Amino acid sequence: MNDIDPQLLQIFREETSERLDRIVDLVLATEAGTAPADSVDALFRDAHSIKGNAGMVGFPAAATIAGAMEDILEDAREHGALPPGLTTALLSATDAIRRSIQGDDGDPAATVAELRAAAGTEPAPAPNGPRAPGAGSPAAIPEPPPPDLEPPDTDPEPPHPEPPHPEPPGQPSPAAVAELTAAAPPSSSSLSGASPTSVRVGTAKIDRLLDVVGETVLHRRRLDHLLRRGNEDEERLEEELGSGDILLADLQDSVIQMRTLPLSSIIGPFPRAVRDMAAETGKQAKLEMHGTETQLDRVILDGVSETIVHVLRNAVSHGIETPEQRAAAGKAPEGTVELRAEPRGGLVAITVSDDGRGVSTEIQERGRRAGSLVEVLAEPGFSTAGRVSDLSGRGVGLDAVKRHVESLGGGMEIASEPGRGTAVTLLLPLTLALMELLLVERGGQPFGLPLPSVVEAFAIDTVTTLGGRPSIDLRGSTVALIDLAEAIGAAGEELAPRSPAVVVSAAGQRMAVVCDRLLGDQEAVVKTLGPLLADLPGYLGAAILGDGRVALILEPSFLVRRRAAVAAARAREEASHVSRVLVVDDQFTVRELQRRILEGAGYEVLTAANGVEALEVITREPELELVVTDIEMPEMDGLTLLQHIRGEPDTDTLPVVIVSSRAGEEDRRRGAEAGADAYVVKAEFDQRALLETVGRLIERR
Amino acid sequence: MSSTHVRAVVAGETYGLPIEHVTEVAELGEVTPLPGAPSVIMGVRNLRGSVVPVASLAVLLGLSGDHSPQRLIVTEDDGRRLALAVEDVTDVTDIDAEPEPSESPLLHGAVLVDGVLIGLLDIRALMSAASPRGR
Repeated sequence: MNDIDPQLLQIFREETSERLDRIVDLVLATEAGTAPADSVDALFRDAHSIKGNAGMVGFPAAATIAGAMEDILEDAREHGALPPGLTTALLSATDAIRRSIQGDDGDPAATVAELRAAAGTEPAPAPNGPRAPGAGSPAAIPEPPPPDLEPPDTDPEPPHPEPPHPEPPGQPSPAAVAELTAAAPPSSSSLSGASPTSVRVGTAKIDRLLDVVGETVLHRRRLDHLLRRGNEDEERLEEELGSGDILLADLQDSVIQMRTLPLSSIIGPFPRAVRDMAAETGKQAKLEMHGTETQLDRVILDGVSETIVHVLRNAVSHGIETPEQRAAAGKAPEGTVELRAEPRGGLVAITVSDDGRGVSTEIQERGRRAGSLVEVLAEPGFSTAGRVSDLSGRGVGLDAVKRHVESLGGGMEIASEPGRGTAVTLLLPLTLALMELLLVERGGQPFGLPLPSVVEAFAIDTVTTLGGRPSIDLRGSTVALIDLAEAIGAAGEELAPRSPAVVVSAAGQRMAVVCDRLLGDQEAVVKTLGPLLADLPGYLGAAILGDGRVALILEPSFLVRRRAAVAAARAREEASHVSRVLVVDDQFTVRELQRRILEGAGYEVLTAANGVEALEVITREPELELVVTDIEMPEMDGLTLLQHIRGEPDTDTLPVVIVSSRAGEEDRRRGAEAGADAYVVKAEFDQRALLETVGRLIERR
Repeated sequence: MSSTHVRAVVAGETYGLPIEHVTEVAELGEVTPLPGAPSVIMGVRNLRGSVVPVASLAVLLGLSGDHSPQRLIVTEDDGRRLALAVEDVTDVTDIDAEPEPSESPLLHGAVLVDGVLIGLLDIRALMSAASPRGR
C-alpha cells in the first residue's frame, strides 16, 4: 500500500497520533463541559489535517474516516457547538484511524456509518458493536450519560461563564496538551512502541545543558592557564577545582532533567479509560486529577501508564456502584475517581481513589491478619477465586500491577473503608538514573539497598529460631531475619555475633537483613546490568563506588520473597522433624488463633475440641511433642485430660500448656498439681509468651 | 570467503571470535560476583563506567583443561554485551579456509591454520547460553 520513506511514515504516524490524542481530550472535555469555546474549530482542524495527510501518505481508510469526522464537525462548527451524543462515535472513529495507520486494512464503512448515525445524518444502523446497551439493564442508561447538573447543550453559548477555567485540574489546555504530547507519545491503544530508545527533549533543557557544557569548556581553559603559571597560586587552583565540582553536579542534574517528564505527559488516555469503563458497566463516574505536574523518570512513565489505566478501570468497574446502588446508599449517582500524584520521601506516590463501596469487612479482616490489604488483594489469582472476587470487587490483575512497580524499585499500598471507597497507591522512584542507597558489605562484597525502603539499622542481639525461621525482637514486635548472603545465594563466612541488620520494608512486610558491615549511604548513578541479564531477578542494577568497585543494588521485595523460600528450603533440610503440637479448645476462634500462631512459627498443628477428642488424637499420633489445652470444655475438661495424659506411661512426660481464662492463684495451683508444665492466662494472652513457652518446653525434651 | 577473527587461548585450546562482534580487549580486572546468575557468569566488571557481565569462556564451552583467565574480550550482538574471560589473546587473523562443521552448537565450525585447530565461535549462541532463563 505504501512505498513510502519509512522515516516519513514514522513522522506521519507520530503526528497523527498526537492529533488523535488531542481530539480525544477535546471530545471528553466537551462532554464534561470543560472544553474551551473554540474547541469545535480545533477538532475540525485536526480531522481535516488527518484526512489530508492520510490520503497523501497512502492510508485511504483513515482518510475516509477522518473525512466523515470532518463533515460532521463542519456542521457542528456552523451551529457553534458539538451536538450531544457524538462522543462515543467520535472516540471509536479515533480508534479506527489509529488501527488504520498502523496497517490494519479494515473497511471504514462501519465506522463512517456509526459516525453519521450518531450525527443524525443517516438512519441508525442495526445496533451492533460492543457498546450496545447491556441486556441486564433494560432501562438502559442513555449514552452518553448526561452530565448531572448541566442541561444538554441547547444553548450555543457555553452554559456557564467559566470558559477561561482558571483552575484546570489535570485538564491541560489544548496548547499544553500539544506541548506535552509532543514530548512523549502516549498513544495508549496504538502499537507504536517501536522506538523506545529515542526521546524528544524540550529545547529549554538542551539549552541548559549547552550552557553548562560551555562553562565546563571555560573551566578547563582556566585550569590549563593556572597550571601553566606554576603552583604559586594554589588558592586559585583550589577554587577552580571547586567550581569544577559544581559544574559536574550541574551536568549530572541537567542530564537527569532530560530523563524526567511531568506525569501529565501520560495522562491522555486516563479520562477515556474511566469514561469507557463507566459506559461498559452502566455506571457514572468522573475523573479528577491532581499533581500531574509531578516529574518522573520517562522510563518509569513509559511503563506505568498502562498500569495506572488498569487501576483506574478497576476503580470504576469494582469500586464505584451503579447509580441506583449509590442513591440507595445516600451518595450522588455519579462516582468520583481521583488520581493524585505527590512526592513522598524520595518517592512519588500516585494514588487512585474512588468513593465507591470499598472492600468487604471480611476482606478487611483477612488483610489485617495477613499484615496488609495488598497481601490479600494482590495475591496472584486472587480475583479469579470466584466467590471472593465478587465480595471484594478488587484484585483484578493487581498482582501484575504490584510486580511491575516492585520491579521499578517501588511498592504498592491499598487502603479501603467499607462503603466509603478504596485507595490504591503506587509508590515509584523519582528516577531510575539516581538512587539513594544504603551500602552494606557481606562476604567482602558491597551491596546497595534503596534508602526509601530502609526502616532502620541495628546490631542483632538475641535471635529466636523456630522451624528454621529465625526472627528477632524489635521493641516488642517480631521481625523475620535473613542472612543477606543466604537470601541472594552468595558466598559468605559465618556471621559474627552482633552483626548489623538492616530492617527493610517491602511488599507490605518488614524484614531484617543481616550483613557484615554497614558502609554508609550514598547517592549513586544506577547502571543497568545490561540486556543479557535482564531476566535475572533480584537486582535493580548496579552502582560504581568511588574506588571503582561495583555494588549490586538489591530489589527489596525480592529479599522479602526470598525469605519464605529460604526458610522453606531450610525447614525441608532440617526436616529431621517439624515439631507436632496439639491444640485443644472448644471455641473455634481460639483454636484457630492458636493454630495460626503456632503454624506461623513453624510447628505442625493438630486440633481437638474437647478432652475426649484430644485423647483420641494423642493415641493416634505418637509423634506428638506438646499439648496446649483450655480448661473449661464440654465432654471432658482440660484438667481431666491432663490427668489422663499423666496417667499413661506413654504420655506421662508429654509437656502440657494450659491456656485458660481462669486467672486466680487457686486455678494455677490446681493446674500445676494436675501436672501442667505451664499456665497461660487468656486475658494476658500474648503470642510471644506462648511461643517462648512452647519453644522452651519442646527444646527441653 | 575470508573473515577476520580475534584469536584467543582458552584452557589450552585456540578459538576465533569474529571481529565484527568484538568491541575491545581488556585485562580481566576486578570481577564482582553476581549471586543467582547462571554458573557461567563470573560476575560483572566496571568497564570505564559501564557494567558488563563477564562469562568464563572455558565454562561456557565445557572445557575441562586447566584455565586461569587473564584477559577479557568484550563482545556485542544486537545491543547485548558480554565480556568473555580467556587466558590470552594472541592476534587478529584473516581466515580464508572454509570451516569444517562442528558438533558444538556454540561454534560456526573449525578450521586448521598452520597446524592449529581453531574453533570459530558463534557469539549469538554464546550469549543465549549465558543468559539466565526467566524466573
